[in-house]
Amino acid sequence: MTNQDVSAAADNATGRPTMPGAKIAPVRAVPDAVRLLRFGAVTRNAHRIHYDAEFARSEGLAGPVVMAQLHGCLLHRAATAFADGDPRAVRALGWQNRAPARPGDRLIVTGIVRTVDDATGEVTLDLEETLDDGTVCCLGHAVVALRS
Amino acid sequence: MEAVVTAVDVAEQRARALVGRAEHRSLGVVRAAAAAEFARAAGETSPRLIDPEHAAFVVHPMYVVSLLRGAAGADDEEFRPDGMYRDEVPGTDGLDVALMAGGQDVRWVADVRPGDRIDVRRTLTTVERKGRGAGFLLLTVEKTYGTAERGVLAEVTERFIVR
Repeated sequence: MTNQDVSAAADNATGRPTMPGAKIAPVRAVPDAVRLLRFGAVTRNAHRIHYDAEFARSEGLAGPVVMAQLHGCLLHRAATAFADGDPRAVRALGWQNRAPARPGDRLIVTGIVRTVDDATGEVTLDLEETLDDGTVCCLGHAVVALRS
Repeated sequence: MEAVVTAVDVAEQRARALVGRAEHRSLGVVRAAAAAEFARAAGETSPRLIDPEHAAFVVHPMYVVSLLRGAAGADDEEFRPDGMYRDEVPGTDGLDVALMAGGQDVRWVADVRPGDRIDVRRTLTTVERKGRGAGFLLLTVEKTYGTAERGVLAEVTERFIVR
């Protein structure tokens, strides 16, 4: 079966891919400096690597970096989209930070269906967040309950 | 020649002494407007997440697990020079070390609702020395988020890198 075939294997009612190996709809985002400032404010995250370029460079970074929790929110959004927009259907989410993303970077979260548990209705997704150049920022997974 | 003890060495020694010790913090009461503001700041557009008046509004599941502090905030003396809270990464208070998030695993047990008074319990579970040369520390912390009335609502495994 080719990837194209797998992508086409979707639930008839929802259009959602339901076979292991099937691709989920990608999520794109370009978190800019303003978003980082807003996100840092609402989460009370004052770590200077997120807004102070000189300090970030002193820590060996190329510049300010996107917060881990904001990466997590993008992965969560991708899993939620898979669940037809129901945020509560996402029962678990995990990710590892692999490379930093900077304000203005174009991020894309892609994923595939890893497993489908017919008994519980839970689907496990493998997720990946990358930059335009293919650099992997996060590797993760999500467990989505398609029926409660 | 005597070996040089680095700040990472000190952090490792301190962290190992803290393994298994439970800590507690209150994040205060969840407000729908604050959860909606979080969702907007994260770039969400779904009315379910950003409009508290929407019939199907829910607190963004990532909201409370992303909070470093509750609405009460913190006093000046609670911050490190790098802007991080002194007690956020176990064993690193007062040390000139670089801190990075390594990732999280979040398991939701039940929905967080407006009005929930959230308590966080945190325990450092493992301390690992990784990498070549001086290397870095990988600290793993287990957290639970819950209320006195509803019990545990979310469980989080969080990793920090110290170098």
